[in-house]
Amino acid sequence: MIKRLKKINKAKIFIGFASICGFLLFWYLGTAYTEVGKVMASPIDLFWRFLQSAYEPIGPHTIWGHLLSSISRVMMGFALASVCGILLGLVMGSSPLGEAIARPLFELLRPIPPIAWISIAVLWFGLGEMAKYFIIFLSGFFNITINIYTGAKAVDQELIGAAKMLGCSDRKIFTTIVLPSSVPYIFTGLHIALSSSWAAVVAAEMVRSTDGVGWLITQGMGISDTSQIMVGILSIGVVGFILSSIMRGVEAKLCAWSRVEKS
Amino acid sequence: MKKINKYTLISFLSVLTFVFIWWTATDLLKLTSPTTLPSPVKVFQSFIGKLYQTNPDGATLLQHLASSLKVALSGYLLGVFIGVPLGILMAWYKPVDYIVTPLFDLIRPIPGLAWTPLMILLFGIGLMSKTMVIFLSAFVACVINSYSGIKSTKPVHLWVGETFGAANWQLLTKIAIPTAVPMIFTGLRVAIGASWNALIAAELLASTRGLGFMIQQARGLYRPDIIIVGMTAVGISGAILAWLVGLLEKLAVNRRR
Amino acid sequence: MCLEPSREIMTNSVIKCENVSKQFYSDGEMVQVLEDISLEARENEILVIFGPGQCGKTTLLKAIAALEPATGGTITINGKKKTKPGPECGLVYQTIALFPWLTTMGNVEYGLKVKGMGKKERRERANKYIKLVGLEGFEKSFPIQLSGGMKQRVGIARVYCNEPDVMLLDEPFGHLDAQTRYLMQEELERIWQTEKRTIIFVTNNMEEAIYLADRIIVLTNCPAKIKQEFKVDFPRPRNITDPEFLKLRKEITGILDPLE
Repeated sequence: MIKRLKKINKAKIFIGFASICGFLLFWYLGTAYTEVGKVMASPIDLFWRFLQSAYEPIGPHTIWGHLLSSISRVMMGFALASVCGILLGLVMGSSPLGEAIARPLFELLRPIPPIAWISIAVLWFGLGEMAKYFIIFLSGFFNITINIYTGAKAVDQELIGAAKMLGCSDRKIFTTIVLPSSVPYIFTGLHIALSSSWAAVVAAEMVRSTDGVGWLITQGMGISDTSQIMVGILSIGVVGFILSSIMRGVEAKLCAWSRVEKS
Repeated sequence: MKKINKYTLISFLSVLTFVFIWWTATDLLKLTSPTTLPSPVKVFQSFIGKLYQTNPDGATLLQHLASSLKVALSGYLLGVFIGVPLGILMAWYKPVDYIVTPLFDLIRPIPGLAWTPLMILLFGIGLMSKTMVIFLSAFVACVINSYSGIKSTKPVHLWVGETFGAANWQLLTKIAIPTAVPMIFTGLRVAIGASWNALIAAELLASTRGLGFMIQQARGLYRPDIIIVGMTAVGISGAILAWLVGLLEKLAVNRRR
Repeated sequence: MCLEPSREIMTNSVIKCENVSKQFYSDGEMVQVLEDISLEARENEILVIFGPGQCGKTTLLKAIAALEPATGGTITINGKKKTKPGPECGLVYQTIALFPWLTTMGNVEYGLKVKGMGKKERRERANKYIKLVGLEGFEKSFPIQLSGGMKQRVGIARVYCNEPDVMLLDEPFGHLDAQTRYLMQEELERIWQTEKRTIIFVTNNMEEAIYLADRIIVLTNCPAKIKQEFKVDFPRPRNITDPEFLKLRKEITGILDPLE
């Protein structure tokens, strides 16, 4: 049985690898032999450019500097969004009064895409970093709040009953039951928020910035340098993937008790 | 019954209080300048004005909205009609899965907006580049959800089909796809949200028409009242689009039952 | 026709229900679930409440535990009126309702923890009851890792550990497969013999009722009223093939309301 599984996995990996190689070949041929090549960089160009960006600055930093800028912005906005989002989500989810006060305002603001705030954010905060942090904060905040709100509301009433029956006071219900129950939802929310925060930082940097991976892309467009754009896109994809995997790992560790057996 | 009314009243008051505080800060206490935070009255006036005036950016609110909708929906529908079938095929036929999934996983972590500059260089500033960006955003969501939907088909149901002598494609169309319908609709809902967001972002970057363009122009002209009108229009339209897809979902799911 | 419950000397009754009734409102219409229930459970006896499904047995237990208080009548435990949920009444749920984020130890010591008991004392007591229900070695397991029977044993242990005046068991073995159910009935018997408690046990399984009960109170269909009370004084542990057992079984079957 295990041998069969190993065989299938080998085929999967091999075909996957071949598929990517096929795609790269197709890309190369396309840029080498057609009109597209005039605009679009070939994979080989991209490869060298990518290596180059590690030690030769594009604009103010090398690729590492840009990545650092973008990631630190995400971390700032995401951290703030997490704190505010978790608090608001828990309040809305466990207190009907809190829900009545906060929910309508929340639902009115939520449908507005975070990036649409950029213009007014620039008017409010100027052309500096604050406007970007604000956008990143917004994109994380709405996602986290809604997930935790749903989670806090979805607490199994029977568990609350069991806790009361065992002698738990109403005050302690929140910390001993609602909070632990909500943890899986908190992590789902954080996971989604991290992805959207990463997208938001890219968007914010594309619209208004002097560095960062988003800046790399728009600047590349300005000088018609597709290899620079591709370097940017590649870094965005890789970092996005890494962030997502880290989050998933943390989630798996801390929420092991809630995973349902898959049939 | 009385309890429900109490909370609805509080909700209503909460929104009113918010607007009141806003108005007090701007008109009464004049805490902010009209170029950073306009009064709600001004915003409302601008909203009415923009319905039929084309200044200062060259089109009325509704013309911008129409332009945005046109682009968003073309990208969305393209994403749906390619993404949903592809997701289904990827989940059902292993060869397709093995070949396409690695490529898809490369595209997946990249936010749709990040493709904009590349698309602009390839297709110029216009309908095509924006449509491509929106297509990619919608496409990813549709594939992921359709894939999950098909994969969630219960093996038991397939075995039942097989014992009745169903061919493979019949198992797909008669059992797997109906099981996947709820998730496919979730994908459609996520995709419309992603599409609308991607559209606005793309218009903020490079456009000559549309709500995103209107917002961007207003910033250059120091007209935050128009920005807020734009943001509100974007929010409301996005919500309506999501609601419409939700309605479609209800109709489709109800028919099944 | 309803027969009056036998009025015995109630010197050491732990819990008394007097004229308890419960109504629900569903779509504006009133549904009477419990009507004029008067019963009592005596110290260290197993009182079984037997009735058809969906006739209000769970409602009665939840009313006694004050989780969903009765709309009429009074419930007293050791003389004190029961109005709020609390540790005097321990409820073992049909759905088990363990806290999934806590280990076996965490679940069992929960009641002691919220009371503020010190860690050493808590652990000692919890260990005692984990051992009593036969789950030694599983202190660090999470509910998701335990089988149905094991989970319910944790459910019993955490209530036992809290040392309530009366334990309420709401069809605790209902979700278990038949074989586990038999084993759990024997387990409960053994646990109760080792450390006696006052137990009110609700079931719709006749063999289970006769196997465990000191007394059986039979309820009618909805709205539930007391139909009849039976005393079960055969020696323990009981054998379901005993002629006495079968005789009582036939008697109870005879008085049951027909299916509606």
